[in-house]
Parts: sequence; structure tokens; C-alpha cells
Amino acid sequence: MKKPLLAAAVATTLVLAGCGSGSSSSGEVRLRMIESLTSPERTKLIKTLIAGFEKANPGVTVELVSPPLDSADQKITQILQTKKDLDVLEVRDHTAKSFSNNGWLAELPTTEWPGWSDLTELAQKKAVEVGGKAYLIPYGFYQRTLFYRTDFGMAQPPTTWEELYEAGKKMTSGDRYGYSFRGGKGGADYAVMMISAYNGEALNPEKSFYLKDKRTIFSTPEAAQAMELYVKIFKEASPPDSVSWGYPEMVQGFTSGVTGMLIQDPEVIKTVEDSGVTAWSTTPIPKGPTGYAFQPVGYAGWGATSFTKHPKEAVKLVQFLSEAKQSIAFAKGNSLIPISKQAQNDPQFSQGAWKAYLQAQQDPKQVTTIRPVDYPGWSQFGVDSDRDVQALLTGKKTVAEVLKSWDAFWIDQAKKVS
Amino acid sequence: MRTFSVRRARFIALCLLPGVVFVALFTYYPVIRGAVMAFQRYNLFDLTSTPFVGLENFRAVLGEDRFWTALRNTGTWVAVSLFFQFFLGFGLALLLRRHFRGRGLYQAWVFFPWAMSGFLIGLLWRWMFNGQFGVINDLLLKTGIIDQRIGFLATPGWAMTSVIVANVWYGVTFFAIMIMAALQSVPKELYEAASVDGASRLRQFWHVTLPHIRPTLALIVLLRIIWILNFPDLIYSMTGGGPAGSTDIITTFLIQQVIGGDYGRAGAVGLLILGLLLSFSVFYLNATRFEKAR
Amino acid sequence: MRRVATVAKVVVLTAWLLITLFPLYWIVVTSLKPKPEIFSVPLKYWPGTVTFEHYADLFSFADFGAYLLNSLMVSLVAAGSVTAIGVLGGYTLARFAFPGRGVLMLAFLVTQMIPLFIALGPLYLLMSDLDLLNRLAGLMLVYVAMLVPFATIIMRGFYERVPVALEEAAQVDGASRLVAMVRVVIPVMLPGIAATFIFAFVQCWNELFLAITFIDSEDAKTIPVAMNSFITQYDIDWGSMAAATVVSVVPTLVLFAAIRRYIVEGLTAGAVKG
Repeated sequence: MKKPLLAAAVATTLVLAGCGSGSSSSGEVRLRMIESLTSPERTKLIKTLIAGFEKANPGVTVELVSPPLDSADQKITQILQTKKDLDVLEVRDHTAKSFSNNGWLAELPTTEWPGWSDLTELAQKKAVEVGGKAYLIPYGFYQRTLFYRTDFGMAQPPTTWEELYEAGKKMTSGDRYGYSFRGGKGGADYAVMMISAYNGEALNPEKSFYLKDKRTIFSTPEAAQAMELYVKIFKEASPPDSVSWGYPEMVQGFTSGVTGMLIQDPEVIKTVEDSGVTAWSTTPIPKGPTGYAFQPVGYAGWGATSFTKHPKEAVKLVQFLSEAKQSIAFAKGNSLIPISKQAQNDPQFSQGAWKAYLQAQQDPKQVTTIRPVDYPGWSQFGVDSDRDVQALLTGKKTVAEVLKSWDAFWIDQAKKVS
Repeated sequence: MRTFSVRRARFIALCLLPGVVFVALFTYYPVIRGAVMAFQRYNLFDLTSTPFVGLENFRAVLGEDRFWTALRNTGTWVAVSLFFQFFLGFGLALLLRRHFRGRGLYQAWVFFPWAMSGFLIGLLWRWMFNGQFGVINDLLLKTGIIDQRIGFLATPGWAMTSVIVANVWYGVTFFAIMIMAALQSVPKELYEAASVDGASRLRQFWHVTLPHIRPTLALIVLLRIIWILNFPDLIYSMTGGGPAGSTDIITTFLIQQVIGGDYGRAGAVGLLILGLLLSFSVFYLNATRFEKAR
Repeated sequence: MRRVATVAKVVVLTAWLLITLFPLYWIVVTSLKPKPEIFSVPLKYWPGTVTFEHYADLFSFADFGAYLLNSLMVSLVAAGSVTAIGVLGGYTLARFAFPGRGVLMLAFLVTQMIPLFIALGPLYLLMSDLDLLNRLAGLMLVYVAMLVPFATIIMRGFYERVPVALEEAAQVDGASRLVAMVRVVIPVMLPGIAATFIFAFVQCWNELFLAITFIDSEDAKTIPVAMNSFITQYDIDWGSMAAATVVSVVPTLVLFAAIRRYIVEGLTAGAVKG
């Protein structure tokens, strides 16, 4: 009586255990690499770069893992905490600190690597920004710019937020709207951008949520002014739907002709070019009343894990991807600000839509900042503030309430860090 | 039921062993581990220290407006969804009770939402409710019911309505299947006796059918309540809880804590949900049993 | 009078059929439209030009054939195992009184109320320790655990409706308990077993959150994991999404239509979610 039962139990277990996907076990080195800011096009590009690496390094194969963008960084963190099965990874500006704090990243060689001297000054600086050690080599930079339609009856692109509001209001009629507003995921970032511009010179660019006198940027009357205008831009110059728009919707709103203005990263240049829209141009992001505009330089790069079983090959892969040829191909494919000095001679990065970036770089009042990404509450604030922004736009909270809670949050954070 | 012996005990143990092992290892162990985290500071972005902090996570969660908003929304979400699912499902079951030509084929088609996942259904309705290119706006415009497109998923009131519409569409099938099954369990003799007495269809339904299937209905409804409450998939892919948290239910709130990387708070929310469901179930079962006894 | 009632019934049933099928119709239409047409006003209720490009994309750019196979394998094995475990466990729970029976039933019932997400983090660590991440076997094990309580409870319900006398008669004839169970009880229970199997299959086939947590390697992805990756930063690719939806629904639909009779018959026993 017992035997058939036991047999059934054993069989079940065996069947279950036997159906693994099976991992290869030859003498080859197999690297596992994970990317974060995924998209189908980009994954394709990385795969061709990897194929080049595999060709140059016989006996090494690379498996690329491409999690969905929404939860990619959480996925990476999850894998890292097991300290297993990962060799090379994409590290972003706001994950670098926590990854290195937890001891998950390996220090990369700099001066002994010939490719180092080919990196731009900015790239070298950002590589060692966290903890003074090179935990990653950036692959490119993100900076926002204003995209606008030239066939929507606007004579001059706006240079201030006030002008953007006026221009947007004029464009809005029927099914057409002025501005691709972002009220959904990541929307609070734009509110912060406006608040920063309105605070002007008082802002401390090294810790961009604080003023030079240590108060938060949310505590000033200028912040309230900025937020009032922010709400007006939404109500009078943007599609009502945009209260829940995130990245895809705002870009699509622009490329499908629903909206006439969009503030986004350079990779959108490629999206817009591919969309068939022809009458468009770019200009630096709008400024506040005192003529200042602030934004961080977003970056991400490649790093190696501290627990990899193949440190030599992992570092080699990071370096391969960061060499001029590969990094320029990558920057072009994603339209990013490149890391290689050699790219400065490349006409693609100084023409057309890219001119706005040169213009911004040469303007001393277009200031680049560093956000408090290394504060413990950073990711929490991302979630909270987006929700507050939606509450503000739908009339569930007032400007004063929102600013008060943000102010309190960052005062508290300042205490936790010092 | 039979008596107990060693031989029998061995048989029982062997039959239950695989199930118990699976559930203990892959459900209870991680759940208990997660529950312990509710009393720890456990943030994915800083795992260098994970001290025990008592009830701090619970205090933090209960002190949040969003938690209470989510709780209120959960009430609306469950009650309204359940109401329409139940009555539409009941109606459908009654219409399908008697055999007619093509009933099998009809069932096959009408039950198809059941085969889809909540995730897919959320996406599907998100596409149909789209403010610019959504077919629902287009149909309403064409039929003259509205004269301007509605941003269904962008307006707080409409967003809740939209997710509930999708949920009702999805859940009616389940109710219909279950109620049909319950109806089939009513012995034919009961109806025969009733029609001999000359009772009308409606009276038959009221006095024969309903009392007979009531215990089953009570159980179905309870399971359904638990299930709808534990069903973040649809909302998650349709609105993500937005705009402004207006479609957040308690389980999407939990997901946000997990994605935020705060396993401590996630554990606290999870325990609160579990407590809520357990006490509700006990209350509900007592209430329905009371009714039966009366 | 009777005629009026019949007409009303037909009208209501037809209306409901239309409401149910319209979303299906709309995904099919979307999946057949070329990309620019998907995003253009006025909407077309039939594609101006019918294209199969989105379907072709699924099998060329994405490796959808492999995902289908993975999903099929995971769902079949997990649903099969769950049903087997349920058949054994349900029998004991229905036929014997033993110490701990009540506790066990309660323990199984409570799992149906536990919000999955509370366990996700620790479960991930456990799977990593057991080297089961990114393996179909790992997913199968978790799915079995997830569905065992439901299967056991529902099977218990079915057994309770089979008269004890039936097996006792067989046992008098000299058959052992297990033989009696296999020869006499199980045939009676086939509809219930089929229903349990289908239900478990559909759950595994559709499961998203566990799969995206435990699987990120290309060669172990199931269909929901693959579809989740269509939601990119740039765009929800509605064309591919629609095509993938159609492809992924077909197997369950076929299965459902084939044994629909058993489902209605089988689910009488109660405890079902879905």
C-alpha cells in the first residue's frame, strides 16, 4: 500500500526537479550582465556590442538580462542582495550610493586602463562621484531640453516658465494642447525643476534641495509662486489626461501632435526623428524670474559586482563598453551626451537638435546641480511626491500643504544625514 | 468517519505529506519571515543594519493619510464590484439554467474573460478607456451620450468607476458559473412538489430555490470578497493606483511599499490586511450562521 | 406571454454576449492594425489595411515560441502535480478524523487570505539559497505550493459527495483502501478532477507577480513575464501587446471550450477563486 504512494511522491518531486532550464557547465567563462533603463531598441544595440566583445574574447560568453524598466532597479537590488549570479550591471546615479554602501560594487581600475584618459572631464568626475572610487564608468549623460513644434503658431520658443505658460495657453484649443505635462510617475521632478528655477541664486547646486542658507527650497515664497504657475500650466495649457501621464504618454503626446511642447532627455531626439514629425526644434529649459535654470546631470554607467567569480573578465567587459568606439555607438544609438573626448569632433553631437545642449552648456545661468540622491529618504520621496503632485492637480491638496510636507520631509532628512 | 490506528495514521501522513511540505516551505516560511520583517527596519536600499524597531512600521503606516484613503477605496472597490458581479452573475445564471439550443456554445463564448489574467484585463481596459485613442470615448461620442472626450483614467471619480467596470466585466462569469452550479444542486423533487401546490415561478424561486442555495451563496460571496480585496493585478496594470491615489486599494498600497524597497513597512501592511480579512471572515461566518439557525 | 419572455431573454443574452466579446474583438482589431492606424483619430472599427506585422514581431524579435513552450511546460507540470496532491490530501481530509485535522484545514484556508506580496522578498531569498531562481523547476514548485491548499480543499468537497458505501463495498471485496480509491472513487470524481486541473492550469498560465520576481533569464521566461516587458519606458507597444494577448489567450480558451461541461459540473463544491 505504501509503495505506490511513495512512488507517486518521489515521481512528483523528480518531475518537478527535472524540469530545470539547465545551465551550461563547460569550461567557458559565462558572464551575467543586467541592464536597467531597458527598451527593445537599446537591448538590441547592447546585444550587438556584446557580440563584439565575445568575438574579441573567445571562451567568454555574456548573458544579458533585461528586466522591464518599471521595476528594473528593484530587480537589480534584489539580485545583488543574494550576492550570486551577477557579474556586470548598469548603475544609475541614484542607485550608485546604496549599491556601494552595501558593498556590492567592485572598484574599477582607472589610471592603469588606457581608456580612462579618453573620457571627458565630466565622465571622469562622475565615475568617482560616489565614495571617491570608480564604482562605475558612465556610458553617457542625460540632460533635459525643451522640444517644441515650429508649426503650432509660436514665433519664438519660450525662455521662461511664464512665457511657456503664455505660449501653451495660446496653442490650446480643441484637441490640441500646449504642453506635454507629466502628472504621473516622475511628475514631481518637474515641479522641483520649476521650484529650483524660482529660487534662483539662493539655491545650493551641490545639494539642490537646499538653499545656501541651509533652508529647504520648498520653504520660500518663491516656491509657492512656482507651484501656483505649475498648476496653471496644467489646468490651462495641458491635456486633462496628462494628470496621469508618465514618460511614454508625454512623448507620445508630442509625437502624435496632441501637444506642442515637451521637456525631456536627449534620447527623445531619436524618438521624435523616427516619428515622422518634421517641424520641430529644441531650446534650453525655461528659466525662473531671476534668470536661472537648474537641473541635475543624469547619468548611468556600467559596473562590476564585488562578488563576481570572474573579476578579470567582468572588468574587461566594462572597459570594452566604455572604449571610444563602443561608447560613441551607444551614445548615438540612444542619443545621449557621450563620454568620449573623441565624440567632440563628431558632427552628430553638435548639430540640429543637439545645439540646444551646447547653448545650455555655454550659459552660466543654466546651472547643473547634484540632487540629494544619497539621503536615506530619496526613493521614498520619489513615490510620495508624485502622489502629492497628483493630489495637488486634482484639487485634493493645496500648494501650501504640499510644500509644507516636502519642507518638513527634507528638514528631517537633513537631520538624519548630519 | 472511522477510528484511528497506526496503519491508518501512516496512510494519512503519507497522503498529506507532499501538500504540507510544499505549503510549509514555500508559503508559511516566507510569510512568517515577512511578518518578522514588519518589526524590523528593513529597507532594500540599506541592508547594512536591520534592527528590530517594535511597532514603528505600524505607526508609520497608520499615520499615513494614504493608508486610510486606500482603506476607504477598498470598501468602495469591493462593495460596488461585488454588488454588480453578484446580480449580473445571478441573472445570467438564471437565464442559462434551462437548456436551449446553442447553450453550450454561448457559455463557451461568454465565459471567456475567466481565461484571462487580471494583468491582461487591466491593460485591455486601459487601452479602451484611453483619453485620446480609446474606443469607449469614441463610442460615447458617436452615440451622442457625451460631446467631449472624458479622461477616464485621469479623473479621480471616473478612474474608480473605470476600474470597477473592468472588474465587473471580469467577475460576472465567475459568479454565473458558481451560481449555476448551486442552482443545479437543488433537487428536482422540490420543484415538482411546489408546482403541484400551484406556486408561480417567482414564488418557487423565492420559497424553494433561494433558501436551498443560501448557504452556498454565503460562502461564494465570502470567498469573492476576500478574492477581490486581494486582487491588485487589474488596478495595478490599469491605473497603478492613480490619479492621486484615487484608485489605490490596500493591496496596491502594499505593492508600492514593496517596490519602494521597504520590506519592513510592506510586512506591516501585509499583517494589517491579514488581520482585517481574518476578523471580517469570522464576523461574516458568524453572521450568516446565525441567519441559518433562525 | 411566453413568447415575450423568450424574446426578452434572447435580447438580454445577446446584449451580454456583445458586451463580453467586444473587448476581445477590439484587441483582435488592434492587433491587426498597422502602427500609425492604432494611434489615429477617427478610430477605425476594422483595420484599413490588415497587417500581421505584430504577430510576426512576436516570433521574430521576441522569442514568443519559446515563451509559449515554457508556459505550457510549467502550467502542465504544476497543475498535474497540484491535482495529484489534492486527490490524495482531499481524500484523507474527507474520510478520516485525526488529531490536527482542523488545524490543517484552517492553515490551508488562511493561505487563501494572505496577501502574496508580504512573502515575496523572503521567498526570493529562499529560492536563491536553493538555486532555483531562473529555473522553470523553481516556478513549478512555487506554483504547486500556491495552489495546493485550494486543490486539497476543493477535492475534499468532491469526496464528501461520494457515498462512503461505494468504497466500502469495494473494500469488502478484498481491495485495499488505495485500490478502492483508484478503482471506484476516482472515476466518479473525474469531472471534479478535471475542473481542478483546468483551474490550476489557468492560474499558472496567467500568473505574473511570482514569475517576474523569479525569472529574468531569457530562456526561462513565461508568457506573462515576456508581455510585462512590452511595457517599456518609451511606449506601451499596443500592437504587439494586442497580438500577444490574442496568442496567449488561445490555449486556455481551447482548453476551456473542450472541457467546459466538467467545469460547471465540477465547481459545485465551493472553495474556488478565479
